[in-house]
Order: sequence, then structure tokens, then C-alpha cells
Amino acid sequence: MGVIEFKSVDKIFGPRATGFRALEDINLEIRDREFVAIVGPSGCGKTTCLRMVAGFEDATAGVVSVDGTPIKRPGPDRAVVFQQFALFPWKSVYDNIDLGLRNLNVSRSERETRIAAILDLMNLTQYAKHFPHQLSGGMQQRVAIARAYVLDPDVLLMDEPFGALDAQTRVVMQEELVRLARKNPRTVLFITHAVEEAVYLADRVAIMTRAPGRIKEVLDIASIRNAENWDSYEKIEDVMDLESFVHLRTHIWRSLREEKAAQHV
Amino acid sequence: MKKYESVYITLGGMKVQRKVSIGLATIFIVCMIWFALTTGFGIVPSGRFPSPSETWSALIHVSGRGYGGGDLSMHVYNSLRLVVMGFLFAIATGVPLGLLMGWSRKAEAFINPIFLIIRPIPPLAWIPLAILWLGLGDSAKIMVIWFSAFVPSVINTYAGVRNIDRPVLEAAYMLGMPKVRFVAEVLIPGASPMIFTGLRLSLQASWTTLVAAELVGAFYGLGRVLNVAQQDLYPGMILVGMIAVAILGWGTTRVLGMVETWALRWNTAALAAKG
Amino acid sequence: MGKQISLRQSIILGLLGLTSFVGLWHGLAVSGMIPSVFLPSPIEVYDRFTTLLERRFAGATLPGHLAASFQRFAYGFLLAALIGIPLGLLMGWYQILDEIVSPLFDALRFIAPIAWVPFAALWFGTGIGGPIMIIFAGAFPPCVINAYRGAKFVDPRLIEAANMLGTPSHRVIREILLPASVPSIVSGLRVSAGLGWQSLVGAELIVASAGVGYMMVQGQANVSTTTVMAGMVAIGLVGLALDSALRLAERIIQRRRGLEN
Repeated sequence: MGVIEFKSVDKIFGPRATGFRALEDINLEIRDREFVAIVGPSGCGKTTCLRMVAGFEDATAGVVSVDGTPIKRPGPDRAVVFQQFALFPWKSVYDNIDLGLRNLNVSRSERETRIAAILDLMNLTQYAKHFPHQLSGGMQQRVAIARAYVLDPDVLLMDEPFGALDAQTRVVMQEELVRLARKNPRTVLFITHAVEEAVYLADRVAIMTRAPGRIKEVLDIASIRNAENWDSYEKIEDVMDLESFVHLRTHIWRSLREEKAAQHV
Repeated sequence: MKKYESVYITLGGMKVQRKVSIGLATIFIVCMIWFALTTGFGIVPSGRFPSPSETWSALIHVSGRGYGGGDLSMHVYNSLRLVVMGFLFAIATGVPLGLLMGWSRKAEAFINPIFLIIRPIPPLAWIPLAILWLGLGDSAKIMVIWFSAFVPSVINTYAGVRNIDRPVLEAAYMLGMPKVRFVAEVLIPGASPMIFTGLRLSLQASWTTLVAAELVGAFYGLGRVLNVAQQDLYPGMILVGMIAVAILGWGTTRVLGMVETWALRWNTAALAAKG
Repeated sequence: MGKQISLRQSIILGLLGLTSFVGLWHGLAVSGMIPSVFLPSPIEVYDRFTTLLERRFAGATLPGHLAASFQRFAYGFLLAALIGIPLGLLMGWYQILDEIVSPLFDALRFIAPIAWVPFAALWFGTGIGGPIMIIFAGAFPPCVINAYRGAKFVDPRLIEAANMLGTPSHRVIREILLPASVPSIVSGLRVSAGLGWQSLVGAELIVASAGVGYMMVQGQANVSTTTVMAGMVAIGLVGLALDSALRLAERIIQRRRGLEN
């Protein structure tokens, strides 16, 4: 199980009265094995939402819970994929993936099988002994995803995971993530500022307002995806050409642009 | 650096890199000038600076009959032993304290002001106090070496912990690390590039302090050789002592460098990847 | 990182740290576990410090000794800067000079500055010349190294931009290369001052007839721990003042260049 719930969550950085109001009255429920993306203008607090689920930040008011239990601290049941990869540079690819399993006290033989499987799935087998810095950005992020997926977590939290990658690598990674997510569905909270990415990957997309961030609108993508059978297309650009996709994308763009306009930028 | 790579000069049929050959040539020429100024033309009187042959005879003197209370190997052994002991003792205390201060804001707030008042006092200024407390024997020297090597180890370890990327630390929390494993597999390796910077400084400080402490007062050691040679107005022996100190300093630095290269393999890869 | 703490907490903890340090020292001193000849209490050290401000010990008052030390330091430090910085810059600009000087410099660098004491005494005596040479030996390497780095690692785009604007080479040196290396030179001076000050103390402990180091050696010989500690305090204070002044200069220059992080 992995149900994430935000209940009237506020977040203020600094003192309550004078501090920076990052989030205001966030209400969102992410169902088990649902893929939800949050999009919003930069600085709207979308990353803060994810960091609260991860246990890196406390809510100033309201409750963030997973399966009904309020979150107190970080843990391997909520695996995070960071934008800057955050691999341990002094550990090989294999040891990076292994560490979380060791912390869970998984037996050696089981660890070996699970790591071999995930390395194979992510096309990393031949790089097992490499150090992170010997790999390209796309490969490093693959390792980071493998490190999270191998834990078989209830909840997967992805904080702009493809933000630091170049455009081509990004597309390949998005396609791979779709394959992975459909084959082995998890509850995913995915933060991004790229609209196409959100529409392509997510079951539902939540749009946030500028700071103090509120949830402005939640769009259901899954029903349209299933109706139009997006998953039958192998390439992302084929999906992006579909009228239904264009329509959704334009809708979100407009919504975000209103926020930008309000910001006087 | 790139410029050097393909530039070779032929020297007696062997291809030698330009940088190395110019370096060797320079050192050869300096030796020639040394010989010319002292033995050759006698421009520099031997009471001021020794000629090569005087230096050689001083080396034979100290390694054979002995000088200043023992032969060369005994002086070298004693100096080296004290530096290694003081240095290891400083690492064993300084690195853990640095880790603690880097990790815990409370420990930092508690300890930092004490450091701020002790740090401006140069390690060499502790020598008279160490002699007052512990006399001219080994323990006073170990105390001052410990002190001089302790401060750089603490400060650099502390800075090293603070330099670990925040996302890397968060990744560790996310993976639910037990405490001991966190220290051993995240904190220490993460801080290790800076820790080694600190250790190199510590080692250098150890040698400086040892020589000074032995010059101020000792029964044996290379500083003692320098001291006695100074009193005897024996320039050849002074030069031998200085060269011995330099070689030991260089050698221990090399050993530390080798340990560093091995321990930071992953970082070399990182630096190479960056260009 | 570990849990953040508020400013108030950190001040309280800091004061607590200082008090427990001084308290422990004082406690040990007055408890009689260690004879007070060897471990005087902080108060006794303070008394001795104030006494030394007016009364002569080992030939001069504490300010007198400090003045003698500082004079030597200033000469040695200036000499190191005047020779070391131009040498470092030239090494950075002209590769052939770099290749000639570097091996010598690397060989000499492993000789601890304090190991020059016997030759310094032999060549320049123990009055002012010898100690100046030791300070020079300590302060010289950082001046050279930092000037060298500053000159060598100038952003090549700046030079390209200057060339693109048709700048003659003497002007490139004066208006591009030299200013570009200033931040590194100033950082070098700070390191250099610290090492020079430390070398001075060493030199005075071994060969000198005046100065704070000499005063401390005399204190040690007379088993006057208070004098030794008062000397340490004086050395620490001057060293701190020197470091703060140069740190300020470093910061101002970095701010002007937008190099602050």
C-alpha cells in the first residue's frame, strides 16, 4: 500500500508571522499505485511538497501522511530520486544500489539477485563497477532510479529527476520511466516544471499557483490516456502529436501562464 | 600542463620529457655553481657555506663515528619516530573531533569559541611550556607535535563534513542508515578529500615543530645535530642535517600522498571526468 | 547536516564552552593537584601580563619585546613579499622560468623554515639579521606559490578578449594579467603572514637576544610559567590582529571582484 495524503497543509519558512509563506492549504490525495505529477511556476513550493513526504521538512500546519501514518522522518519506504542524482561519489554503481538493501538487512544472496535484476532492467550491468563520476548524467540518473526502485518502496518520490539532463537523454529516460511504471506500478509523486513531461508520465497532474503555493487544479490524464490508448505508441513524439495530448498540454500552459502574468515577470 | 605532454628532448639516446630535462639541467648547473663558488674559486669561504667535499665528509662523520650524541641512523630514527607518533596521535584525536563539530551544530557552538582563542597561538609558541611541563625528553616533543598537527586535522575535517553535498546527505537519510554505518560510509568518505588536505598540512607542521623543538633542546634527533653543528660552527654538518630533514619531510609526504591516492580513487575519477 | 540551532542557543553554548574551558583550567590550578608553579590560574597569568606591560623582564617590558619582534617580522615579511610576488608572477607568465625555478623551489620547500636557523645565525648573526632570514624562509613560499597561481590560471577568455581588442602585450600584463592575479596574491600574503609570524616565534626561541620568544625562553629557564603563558597570549593577540587585517583586505578584494560565495 502507499496512499499519500496532504490535509490542509501550510508551510512557512522562518517565524510564523513574518516568515516566507511557501504553501497554503494544500489538500491532495494520491491513491495507491497512482502516478501524480505536480507542475507549477518556479518557487511555488512544489519541491517542498515532495520534501515533506520524504520527511526532510515538517508541515507548519496540517498533516502529511502515508497510509494514514503522519510522516516524522526520512526512510527507505519512501525512496527519493533527486534532481542532482545525489549518488555517493565514493561508492561504485553496485555499492550505491546495495546500500539501501543493506540498511534493510536483506540477506546477501537476495541482495545480489535483486541488484542483478535492476541493473539488467536499467541497462547498467556493464557499469556495475564504475564510480558515478565516470558515467554520463543520464547514466547517473539511471543509477539513482535503480537505487530507489531496488528497495521496492511503497512510495517513489521524484524531484525534477530529469531536470539536469540534456533534451535527448531526457526523452529516452521519460520513455524508460513509462515502461518501468507500467510494468511495475508504484505510488509516484513526480515534481516537474516541464508540462509535456507531466502529461506524458502522470495519471493525474496537479497545477500549483505561485507562492504561497496552493493547488489550483487537478487534471485527470489517465482516463484520456486509456481512452486514446497512448501506451500503444512506442515513441514519445507520437503521443505528443495526438490532439488529446496537445489539448491537455495547452490547457496546463494557459493555466501556468496566468500565474506568470500575476508575477509581473 | 597539456603543453608538456608531447615535448621530448633526446638525452643520451633516451627520450626525456622537456620539463624533467630542464629540471635536471637546472639542478646540475646549481651543483656546478656550488662547486665553483666553494672549491673551485673559493669565493665563498668554507666557514660560511660548505663545499661538496666538506659536506660529504660531514656525512661520513655523522654516519660513521656519530655526532651530537649518536650516529645518523639513530638521529633519523628518533626524529621520525617522534613525528610519526605525534602525527598519528593528532589524527586519532583531531579527525573524530572534526567529525563531531562538522556534524553537530551544538558541538560546534560549544567548541568553536575555545578554538578561536587557542588557534592564534602558533604551535611553536607551545615549546617553552611543553619543556617546562615535560622536560627535554620525548613526551614534550610529542605534545607540541600533537598540538601543531591537531589543529589542521580538526579544522579541515570539520570543513570537509560541511562540504558534503546536501542531497547526498539526504539520500543517506532516505536510505535509513544506522548511525555507525552513516559515519563510516558517508561522513568519513565524504569529508575525506578535505581530511587529506588537513593531514598534509598536519604533517608539514609536525616536521617544522619537531625541528624547532629539537633545536630548542634535545638529547638526540636531527634538530640536535643542527644545534650542535651551529655551536661548533660546522657548516658541512649543518647542511647534512638540513638535507636529512628535507628528505624525511619529502619521504613522509610521499607516503601520505600514496595513501591519499589510494583512498580517494573515486575522487580521482571525478577530477578526471571534469577535465 | 545535524539539527540547526538558533543564534541564542549557539551563543549560550559558546559561552558555556568558554566558561567550562577557563573553569576547568582555573579549577585544576587552584585545586593544588598540579603545583601552581607549573599550572598557574588564569588570574595569575592575567596579573603577570599586566605587570609585564610595565616591568622589565629579560631586558625589556612586554611592549618592548613585542616591538622588537614586530620590527623583525615586518622586515622579513616585506622582503618575502617584494621578492616572492614578482618571482611568482614571472614564473606564471614565462614558462621557461617556471621550468628552471620550480625544481629548485620544490626541493627547498621541504626544508622546514626553522631548519635554516643554524645558517641564519652563521650568516647574519642572532641580532636582527638571523631572525629576519628565518621569517623570510617561512613567508616566502606562499608569496611565490600564490602569485604563480594567480598569474598562471587567469581565465584565458580574458586574454582572448584583450587580444581581440588589439591590446599591446605590455598593456595586457599591466591591465589584465596583474589585476587578475591580485585576489590570489592577497590570499597568499595572509598565509605568508601567518607562517612568518610562527617562524619568528621559532627563531626567537632559538637565536635572539630580545623579542617575545626570547622573553618566553627566559621565562622557561627561570621556571616562570606565568611569563611563558603571558608571552603566548601576547603572540596570539598580535597574530590574530595580523590575520584579521589581512582577512579584511582579502574579503574587500573578493567582494569587489564578485568572487564571494
